Amino acid sequence: MGFFSKLFKGPEIDMEKSNANAKKMRALFNQVVEEGDKYRLIFGYTEDVGRFNYGFVHGSKTRIGNLIVGWNEAGQTIVVVPTVPDLSGCGDPAYYRRSEIFKAYRNKYPTDAFIIYPDKKGYIGINAYDWLEDEKLYVYVSQDDELAAFTDFFINRFATK
Amino acid sequence: MPIGEIGAFLLFLVIVFIFGNLWFHFMEAILRRMKALFTRHKKTSAWHTLPPDKSG
Repeated sequence: MGFFSKLFKGPEIDMEKSNANAKKMRALFNQVVEEGDKYRLIFGYTEDVGRFNYGFVHGSKTRIGNLIVGWNEAGQTIVVVPTVPDLSGCGDPAYYRRSEIFKAYRNKYPTDAFIIYPDKKGYIGINAYDWLEDEKLYVYVSQDDELAAFTDFFINRFATK
Repeated sequence: MPIGEIGAFLLFLVIVFIFGNLWFHFMEAILRRMKALFTRHKKTSAWHTLPPDKSG
């Protein structure tokens, strides 16, 4: 392969690292979710953008929260487990059962996030991509097939409108 | 515009930038302290670490 074709090929995914992280995601998920193997998994994240105004200094801050997102087709349930980019641990799971949520839909603008309102008061916006390179901010995992399956499930069987 | 004036203007911008950064971190630290003061009795959420055999 020539130098320029290699240069323009773009970043390549380290599949060994990706597979190792996928296994860690599964281990963490199964640790906190009962019958975890009944769920398929993807990595997602939330973005919390907050504005600040400290007198003459003002701007916005973005806080990223990493998530292990599991979904069960039969139970029409999505489980969200907070985690960190290095997958050293995770928090308690949050369950979103289609029969219990207020509404769910795929956002269009400004991001194509998956939005779930468990009730009228709050919501969670799950962003998911097939691969994100920045390991300091996101879990390094390649998930083309899983993301396609999750998108299909969410739009066709979980979304309420 | 003479070089000296351009240099002075750039120096002024650098000072504004540094002071802005210090001010931002100072305000953030104060707000963090205040937040910690009001939320110290709040129960922290559970955290589960990855089992040692899977950490490799």
